[in-house]
Amino acid sequence: MVPFGTFAQDTLWLARGEWTQIPDSVQALRFNANDEWSGVNATLTRPVDAASSLVVVNLDSIAHTWKLEAEGELDWDLAALDTIVLEMPELPAGAYRFGLTDEIGRVMGASGQLQIGLEADYAHFHWNLGDWSVARMVAADLGLPIAWNEPYVPEQFTINERTYPAVADDPEALVAVSLGDTCLISIANHGFMDHVFHFHGFHVTMISSSHHPERVGWSKDTVPIRMGEVLTVQLVANQVGMYPVHNHNLIAVTNAGFYPGGMITQIHVAP
Amino acid sequence: MQPPQLFSGMEGYTFLPDGTAIPIWGYGWVADGFISLPGPLLEYSEGESVQLNFTNPSPESHTIHLHGLDVDQANDGVPSTSFFVVTGGETTYEFEADHPGTFLYHCHVTTTLHLTMGMYGMILVNRPDMTLYEGGPGYSENAPLLFSDLELETNLNAVQSFPFHDIRPDVFMVNGVSGNQLEQAEQIIDFEPGEPIALRLGSMAYSLLHLNFPAELNAICYMSDGRPVPEPFAVNELDVFPGERFTVMIEPDAGWDGHIGCEYWNIPDQQLEEEQFVHVRDASLSVPDWGTSPAPLGFPNPTQAEITWSGPISLCVFDAAGNSVFSGPLNQGRLNVADWANGIYIAVFPSGKHTRFSVIH
Repeated sequence: MVPFGTFAQDTLWLARGEWTQIPDSVQALRFNANDEWSGVNATLTRPVDAASSLVVVNLDSIAHTWKLEAEGELDWDLAALDTIVLEMPELPAGAYRFGLTDEIGRVMGASGQLQIGLEADYAHFHWNLGDWSVARMVAADLGLPIAWNEPYVPEQFTINERTYPAVADDPEALVAVSLGDTCLISIANHGFMDHVFHFHGFHVTMISSSHHPERVGWSKDTVPIRMGEVLTVQLVANQVGMYPVHNHNLIAVTNAGFYPGGMITQIHVAP
Repeated sequence: MQPPQLFSGMEGYTFLPDGTAIPIWGYGWVADGFISLPGPLLEYSEGESVQLNFTNPSPESHTIHLHGLDVDQANDGVPSTSFFVVTGGETTYEFEADHPGTFLYHCHVTTTLHLTMGMYGMILVNRPDMTLYEGGPGYSENAPLLFSDLELETNLNAVQSFPFHDIRPDVFMVNGVSGNQLEQAEQIIDFEPGEPIALRLGSMAYSLLHLNFPAELNAICYMSDGRPVPEPFAVNELDVFPGERFTVMIEPDAGWDGHIGCEYWNIPDQQLEEEQFVHVRDASLSVPDWGTSPAPLGFPNPTQAEITWSGPISLCVFDAAGNSVFSGPLNQGRLNVADWANGIYIAVFPSGKHTRFSVIH
């Protein structure tokens, strides 16, 4: 985790490269934290109610559109190989989704979270959810038509662009806390289908939800995350041990059909 | 007295509305000797220290994950963090039933496959005073509705079911049955006017359930995932995702006779696959089934060689298509079915009472 207040990413580099975190090696688009390629999208953090600038450098050879899903739905055009400066508005505490909205950008997976003031009181983790059809990604990379009318059969399901068991190597995805700790987990669904996560060992409290604000305050062990939704839950680590958290649409706990894989992570509670 | 013991099996069958036998894996009580779809309903009282005995005589390892009960790691039923119950093994899962509500259980070994094969059931933690939770509303009875689905291709050939990411169900069930099976007397929810019924909704499906509650049900959602919701709300439509549970209280208008629509949506393609209908009616409108008291049961059921009644008996037997397959007396009460096809059969007795049995080879 990045300690609050010590670093604020003020530039994102949109780049195309080989995504090696999944068993299928495919070309992907990512928002990187610097000009070196990474298959994992960067996360933005900002304090509460503070306007800021964001520089976006488009290293890709085609134009894209960029959107921050906050009130007012903020859209910007990114010309090919261009750099723009976005004026980010003041926002209340919470997690927000950003990403490309053009067809190629969506399919190739450039998206992430803007986190506002979530690390002030508690440890904070985040899960960016993705479902991936290699055929669609290859078509998008080559600029070919994407077969939207054919059945959607994604082969890969990721948390922070990684599949299980590699998810466990990601300190943002593996919830490692101590007995009695309270932590927050922000979950964003960047994919093309709904997802639903089941917490073993714990109920979590809904803190915020872009799609179901009426559920704030609910205590749940199985949490739907609709396509395009971002939500934050609070977890109180009231028992020690290792507990899985996984998608309960069980086709999504596989890697190219192999079980176990995909959208699985764990909660580790130390004594 | 020794608490009852669950067992896991991999040689069961469920029957589609047309009588087709579909292989299932699942759970059953050792005392009953057969597995069912879904597994037996497990009911406990709030505050109870539960010991759930489990034995696995089947050819593969299995577990029981107590979904939503927040048990400790040792009792969580996940092989990688808890333990397998191997072939021939047995264990006791222990937990405190701290929270009243609706929960689930299922196998957590190769979960994607073992669930579509049928290894799941529902758990209810009840309060003795028949209220949903402390300070919550009272109810007259529970009506468990466990939604699930299966993919025929997988269940018919589990050994070659790989890969798992393309499982797309084509049989959609409520409490393990579908279509006109939901009009069987035991599947219909009969209500007495003025007496609320607690619908215990849970999903072990791969589909997204979209439920439609007619206004005459006066449905109010009080709980989700075994916890009260902060503000109970009137509900006409409700989505239930895989693994989710809700408790919805209904107090239908007197004289009402209708259905809860249960839509099954394909999650990756966001398409409606099928709709099932749960029948709810004023008990005064119920029609007596064939015979007003149970017909004598034959054993074993299911059977593969013969089915036996206690003593001489006379009966007619029909298959699921209504064809007569046997008629006459049984002097020893023993009916040889060794050459009969797999399926459901209905035995009708001179009194007009009837019972069903299954033949599975």
